[in-house]
Amino acid sequence: MFSQDWIEPLIKMAVVIGAIQGAVAYLVLAERRAAAFFQDRVGPNRVGPFGLLQPIADGLKFILKEELIPSGAHKPIFLLAPVMILASATLAFATVPVGYYFPAILGLKAPIAMTIAPGMDIGLLFVLAVSSLGVYGVILGGWASNSKYSFLGGLRSSAQLVSYELPLGLSLIGAILLSGSLRMETIMDAQAESGWWWVMLQPLGFAVFLISGFAEAARLPFDLPECEQELVAGYHTEYTAMKFGMFAMAEYMHMITVAFMAVIIYFGGWHLWYIAPAIPANEVGLIGALLRIGILQAKVLVLVFFFMWVRWSFPRFRYDQLMAIGWKIMIPLGLVNLLASAVSQEFLAKDAYLAKAVVSWLVLGACFVYGMLNVNPQGAPSQHALAKV
Amino acid sequence: MTSPAFPVFLFVVISTVMAASILMIAQLVGPKRRRTDVKGMPYESGMNPLHDARQRFNIGFYLLAIEFLVFDVEILILLPWAVAAGGKQTGTLGAGHGVFWVVMVFLVILTVGFAYTWRKGVFKWK
Repeated sequence: MFSQDWIEPLIKMAVVIGAIQGAVAYLVLAERRAAAFFQDRVGPNRVGPFGLLQPIADGLKFILKEELIPSGAHKPIFLLAPVMILASATLAFATVPVGYYFPAILGLKAPIAMTIAPGMDIGLLFVLAVSSLGVYGVILGGWASNSKYSFLGGLRSSAQLVSYELPLGLSLIGAILLSGSLRMETIMDAQAESGWWWVMLQPLGFAVFLISGFAEAARLPFDLPECEQELVAGYHTEYTAMKFGMFAMAEYMHMITVAFMAVIIYFGGWHLWYIAPAIPANEVGLIGALLRIGILQAKVLVLVFFFMWVRWSFPRFRYDQLMAIGWKIMIPLGLVNLLASAVSQEFLAKDAYLAKAVVSWLVLGACFVYGMLNVNPQGAPSQHALAKV
Repeated sequence: MTSPAFPVFLFVVISTVMAASILMIAQLVGPKRRRTDVKGMPYESGMNPLHDARQRFNIGFYLLAIEFLVFDVEILILLPWAVAAGGKQTGTLGAGHGVFWVVMVFLVILTVGFAYTWRKGVFKWK
């Protein structure tokens, strides 16, 4: 019972759950402050210094409000939906590494992997599979509420999440081809050893991944599930108090998951030239380990800030535009990227990273030129490209 | 040594218990007030709801779900090949270009199916 097989994952789980819930609470505050900054307002700054106690006040409010279940709702499913969406959002972190290795502490055998389940070879696939379980929470919540807004929101957002999962998976295949593994630690190691971040070798794949990631996390240009003007609050219209809070938490967790995936797969994870180079796992000291954790988290925070920045920079898409972008632009682009990376992986020398980079940037340029020629000056997808077919 | 998937099963249990306990704590702590008919009514911008919300919906969603299933399985089939052909080794499992051409044929079939559903208007929204 008290062997390292039990103790080590339990400690990691406690740290990960605590860190993520804390991060979610403070990201809500950070998002509100960032929104205020972009809109030239002050933002929440009353509760504590710089509003730092605001998340605690918000959490208390969530708990102390009345739990309401609409009379027409299907009660078990209504209660199951937020549990399902929050549990699956948390579970996605089981195979996400948060750093490199750690030297021996607390009498544990070193080197300690910074992942809850370090032995899982299918890490990336597991993250994709589990985070897509969130669709069940959305559709069940929308159906069980017996409200028209919830029902329509649930339908819309499940169709959106399902559609953008395909380009997400397609775009990752290019990066998997470069790394030769689905294990997220190995993907980071491959980038550190080669000194190239996959974003330089997979610019088109990264673009498709990022846009699909925005849609999967239901962030603003793609926040059709809950566009206030049309659907009130979408699938969680009827949810009050902590049940709404759980949906909100899961939403922010999805954003953190996408940011982690982008950093690990495309931005080299803990790798930074000269400062944190590739070293064997058992030679990493305490400072090196902490440095690598810090670098990874810093990259994730930069990406999360980018998410917030985009939120206040782009208007929302119409629903038919959203579907057209997903199926008629993102999936063909994903296929083009897959084809280009398969050919360059097969016929170029395996460590000819410069040649691979040239090929992929040329492909990106060709796609960009083709897209520019088929988009009208108003910025809307042209009749020829999308609407007729 | 236990299986590498053991921490995952542990985490499945723990994350579910965590989510369920958050729900339960809120149910226990939150105030309990009298239910009224109006309070239990689903929100419909102040109107009395007319019909049941679970009505028939656009067939497009169903077609999209079918298309997703087919496409997702096809992507899933590409993943083992990507792992086998990827990294620093030469060719797929060091076996020359044979597997590569098989995958290319597979991709062509996938693209033809995709183009067919596109032409059929599955992705068209009115």
